Amino acid sequence: MIRAERRTGLIFFPAFDWAISPTHPEREERLLYTQDQVLEEGLLDIEGIREYRVREALFKDIRRVHFCVPDEEAVTTRSHLISAGGCLVAADAVLKGEVESAFALVRPPGHHSMRVVHGNRGFCNINIEAIMIEYIREKYGIRKVAIVDTDCHHGDGTQDIYWHDPDTLFISVHQDGRTLYPGSGFIDESGGPNAQGATVNIPLPPGTGEKGFLFVLDEFIMPLLKKFQPELVINSAGQDNHFNDPITNMNFTARGYATLNARLKPDIAVLEGGYAIENALPYVNVGIIMAMAGMDTSYVKEPNYDRDYKPQPADITLYIEKLVAELKDLFLKGNPLKTEFKEGEIIERNRNIFYDTDGIDEKQHEKLRCCHDCAGALSIESTSSLGQHIHAVHIPMFACTACRDIALDWHKKAFRGNFDHLYLQDKVRGVYEKV
Amino acid sequence: MILGLDVGGTQTDTVLIDKNGVFYESKTPTGDNLLETLALALDKTLTNIDPTNIERMTFSTTMATNAIVQGLLADTGMIVSAGPGMDPALFSVGPSYHVVEGCLDHQGLEAMPVNKEAVLNASDLIRQDGIKLVGIVTKFSVRNPAHELLISDWVKNSFSHIALGHQVSGALNFPRRITTTYLNAALYGLHQEFTNAVIRTIGKKDLQAPRFLLKPDGGTVGLEQSLYYPAGTAQSGPAASVMGALALDGCKGNSIVLDIGGTTTDMSVVLNGVPLLARHGIMLGPFQTLVRSLLTRSIGMGGDSEIQIEKNGNLKIGPLRKGSPVAFGGNIPTPTDAMITLDLIRIGNGEAARDAMEKLAVPLGLTADKMAHEVLKHTAQSIAVSVNDFIGYINSRPLYTIHEVVQEKKIIPDSVVIIGGPAPQFADYVGKALGLPYRVPSHFGVANAVGAAVARVTSEISLQADTQRGTVVIPEADVQDKIASDFSLEDASSLAREVIKKQALQAGADPSDLDITITEKEMFNMIRGYSRTGRNIRLKMSIVPGIIPEWNRRKQDDTR
Repeated sequence: MIRAERRTGLIFFPAFDWAISPTHPEREERLLYTQDQVLEEGLLDIEGIREYRVREALFKDIRRVHFCVPDEEAVTTRSHLISAGGCLVAADAVLKGEVESAFALVRPPGHHSMRVVHGNRGFCNINIEAIMIEYIREKYGIRKVAIVDTDCHHGDGTQDIYWHDPDTLFISVHQDGRTLYPGSGFIDESGGPNAQGATVNIPLPPGTGEKGFLFVLDEFIMPLLKKFQPELVINSAGQDNHFNDPITNMNFTARGYATLNARLKPDIAVLEGGYAIENALPYVNVGIIMAMAGMDTSYVKEPNYDRDYKPQPADITLYIEKLVAELKDLFLKGNPLKTEFKEGEIIERNRNIFYDTDGIDEKQHEKLRCCHDCAGALSIESTSSLGQHIHAVHIPMFACTACRDIALDWHKKAFRGNFDHLYLQDKVRGVYEKV
Repeated sequence: MILGLDVGGTQTDTVLIDKNGVFYESKTPTGDNLLETLALALDKTLTNIDPTNIERMTFSTTMATNAIVQGLLADTGMIVSAGPGMDPALFSVGPSYHVVEGCLDHQGLEAMPVNKEAVLNASDLIRQDGIKLVGIVTKFSVRNPAHELLISDWVKNSFSHIALGHQVSGALNFPRRITTTYLNAALYGLHQEFTNAVIRTIGKKDLQAPRFLLKPDGGTVGLEQSLYYPAGTAQSGPAASVMGALALDGCKGNSIVLDIGGTTTDMSVVLNGVPLLARHGIMLGPFQTLVRSLLTRSIGMGGDSEIQIEKNGNLKIGPLRKGSPVAFGGNIPTPTDAMITLDLIRIGNGEAARDAMEKLAVPLGLTADKMAHEVLKHTAQSIAVSVNDFIGYINSRPLYTIHEVVQEKKIIPDSVVIIGGPAPQFADYVGKALGLPYRVPSHFGVANAVGAAVARVTSEISLQADTQRGTVVIPEADVQDKIASDFSLEDASSLAREVIKKQALQAGADPSDLDITITEKEMFNMIRGYSRTGRNIRLKMSIVPGIIPEWNRRKQDDTR
């Protein structure tokens, strides 16, 4: 019998009975061929690879992260709850020590979902990684978490949720936002006033290949992780950087993904996007599972690799080398990006957010208390083109007394008559309210 | 009249069943020579019986298992082609294993043709080793057997027997397909000798009726029809017990079946008369296979298990058996001695048994009776812990659809059926330990032979249709056809039904007893770009394990 070097949990939920719409990329068929490949490889027979049953996440798990408008039920389906629940199963398996790492191979994805949810953005309704991380923090007392998002699209939802959190290092590697949805994720997006440098964006040029991705990993991401010293590393394992992907323009490979995973060694990987369902996903997923289990992935290769994979051109290599040098300057050598803010200063910003899948426009007004001791009190007023108007207050898990007091005060003073709903997310007490 | 014969590790059990039910049962010690044991058991059973009255007979055999364990597998060459994934060298089996270039993808499309030169080279190397048997397996051959058939065609004149991977099972699992194909080839000669010998033996006894072998999935296959799939007849003992419990008890509701023997206790679950099947194939010695099997678990706990008192004063029963119970001249006290002490059963040397209990009891400050009671209680509790763990395992089976998650089909057992030699003595203890009502059917001591006697022929096929590619494949039955773009789920169902009927009849099934069940039915629209380009249909149909109609027509009711 073949034995895995590392005990690995697999949570597979292909949702064979769920689609956004019959011809949408996020449809029943998406993981069908991945299942075929995983079964045919016999990966589930390997000693040390253990498959887990999924479960449904509860609304309470969602409330640790999101403000759902008008409520959780309205913006989720069963499939979202199970996909998020699959991540919670992965978390328990790893944190209880049953396995050394786990892969939640679930759908639908979640990394475009922001803190406030009015509907579906970029195929996502709720942020399954964030729901998992906040569950882990509450249940297992873990504080410092790093997320490495290797989906081809900028993980703007995860970025939004952790924008102000200095305890979460969010790194997104993606195709340059000037050339792809959601059009964000530039170097200068590097975290809110209380969490400067905890958001790191690596926009790569179209055509980036195996060489470029692994260069960025070795030269920048790994040293950055070493500097941050996370207790847990999460990989948002989108698979649409693949050269066969129909909706992106990157040039990554199954073996490249496997190598990346083997070097990154995430504690938990979560599937995000990836829509080359026949000629990329089966091989990338097999590669990731094998890499997590510490197995040799040198035989993982797309059948059309020799014919269709083109090594990365020299000009792209040069571009990436310059980009990495710049990133190193910004994030590894001190923090020149940092702006000094005065303790207690209230910083406000206005934002417009578009929900592409559901065609919703959202306007946000955000208030943050600058704080040198915690992530800071946060309040959001949000209005959607569906006519919903809410006031939401977030008290971070390790909030200082000053931030907590001011946040509670904001919540108390918000006039019920001006809003459809008032939300309070008090992570200090673990209290989540909506009126 | 029906004859059932189950070869166990220590005893070979035989029953005869007529229109009134079980009217004869006997036990014969299992010797080293399987055929001698068989002949002895038959001699004993057929005394005063007119052999021409026997209308049907089923045997279980330990031939394959013994051959694997004793290293008697014939030298077999393997020719394998893989494509992307794990290094195929990891699956190397047998003395002459060769990987050749060639690749089919998950849809069965050719990604790389098979390298004929490499195949012929491999074939030469295998022949140079003096090997006459060969197994041929390609990855995804159940989606498209073309490469296996091609290789087979190239080398067919070089070998006396060729086993092909896609015929073994429709399941996707390349490494298991390799081992199962290997075993089918490596056991071919031995199995042929065995079946011939059985035919000679029963011929001598004037037994002319249809004869079957029991399979680990609780079904039977005609003796002659089992020739090419010998691995499929290995390790059917636990299935015999389950089918026996099913026949004798009916197993309504969610029943746990426990077969308590001398050395081990086997457990399984029957849901409303249908035994649960294992998700993957059975393990034969060190080999993970694709051979379909009932879901059973065996623990080292039985009437003759060793009793130990640990340093902290706790009792420990099993997992080893160290000779006979003290009542039968052994040195180590066993639960059987406890039963004798409590007068639950009157066998062997009662005084010796009581002395053994007394010896255990004194340091603990107990009486012999109290000690014996504790032993049985503890044994039952240990069995209950394992049963609950087994149920937990069943209930952690992964779920792949929202429908399944929402339904959350958890299995909660509502009764326990206990068979095996010490069943009546243990029943009350086990029932209490599990907190469940229990039943001990009649003929509990030979339930396994009853199970073998009355199990129906089972069969399974897997259909996959891909209207984009325009093909339908049923690998187990070697069906590959072109289909039109409007091939529907109904078309698939009727084709599958036709094929499984044919296959079951070939395996010796009774045409009036073809209980066909659809075990898996999925249809996916295949979308390329933003429009539908085809349908992907997957269908699994089986004749599930069950009891032949003759048994249900018997007059005497054996169920209690």
